[in-house]
Amino acid sequence: MFDLTFLNSSLLVIFGFFIGVLGSVMGVGGGIFIVPMLVLALGIPIHQAVAVSLAAIVASSSAVASVNVERGLANMRLGVALEVTTALGSIAGALLAGRLSSNIIQLLFALVLFPVSAGMFMKGRRALKHGRARSAPAAADGIPGVFDSEFFDHSIDSRTSYRVKNMAPASFISFFAGGLSGLLGLGGGIIQVPMMNLLCGVPIKAAAATSNFLIGVSAAASLFIYLKKGYLVPELAAVIVIGVLLGSFAGIYILYKARSEKIQMAFSALVFIVAVKMLMK
Amino acid sequence: MVKVFSDKEFGKLIQRTLLAGVSLSLFFFFLGFVFRFSGFQSAGAAFRAGVLALALTPVARVAMLVYGYWRTKEYRFALASFTVLALLLISVLL
Repeated sequence: MFDLTFLNSSLLVIFGFFIGVLGSVMGVGGGIFIVPMLVLALGIPIHQAVAVSLAAIVASSSAVASVNVERGLANMRLGVALEVTTALGSIAGALLAGRLSSNIIQLLFALVLFPVSAGMFMKGRRALKHGRARSAPAAADGIPGVFDSEFFDHSIDSRTSYRVKNMAPASFISFFAGGLSGLLGLGGGIIQVPMMNLLCGVPIKAAAATSNFLIGVSAAASLFIYLKKGYLVPELAAVIVIGVLLGSFAGIYILYKARSEKIQMAFSALVFIVAVKMLMK
Repeated sequence: MVKVFSDKEFGKLIQRTLLAGVSLSLFFFFLGFVFRFSGFQSAGAAFRAGVLALALTPVARVAMLVYGYWRTKEYRFALASFTVLALLLISVLL
């Protein structure tokens, strides 16, 4: 068992801090970095690492959503609708963990991520060229949809309204995003954010905030199953969670101040890195 | 007269629920470290309580969504939230 000395704990808190910042700004849980770090650098068994990662995702999601919901950046109606299939997927994923080959899952996942990364990059670059990120304005062609929303973007000092489309395929994709949560200890944000942005037309900031809102539920659903199996090391989870929470609150400031196009470009780079990393495995 | 439950109030309710859960788990984690470095036996129990508070935070948030959407009479979202709550309970029982 890994020994939690004061030095180790401090380093893990700092690591958690960076994961928290990443989670706040990009809408991802950071499991893609937490699991390999715990397994490769600290020699923690994979299932224990996944359990700690899920706890960190729940912490990051809860902290960030607490601010974003109150400020209207997270689209709660959209989040709730996607949560249904995401939670179903995460339960299925956690039950299947260990029965499916994680190598094949990661290979397929990586192959999907490359076009997603390219799509995010192109959209971000187009927005940078034309001044700002565009999304379909709400009620552009008549009656507003139940998922349409708006938020105040501090980086451009104005309100941004948007229309949400393609909910049926989005719900279907969310099921697989939830499945990844249970299988690989990821929050699923790496799929949810581009899906909401590219498929549903949700601006990147609102997509990141809504992803943060909903990944906590899928992670919690899987976490309960891992807890019952006795995989979670509470002390280790506590250290990482403290760092993640501090980082999450710091990251919220960046999310509100940064320009959407830059977040979009950074997210496309993140997706690309994750895809390469998974392919190399 | 029936008091209107506004979006702002709804947002505040969700915010408070999430912050309460996160704060409670942080409290137990810090307590666990205090116990651990002071050599108390109950450190493990405090850490486990922190993890439990953390894991239950999204559950409490979904329960508040059911309540909030019921109050705002958006019944389809109340039903969706209730379905999520049921799925979370299933995952606890599995």
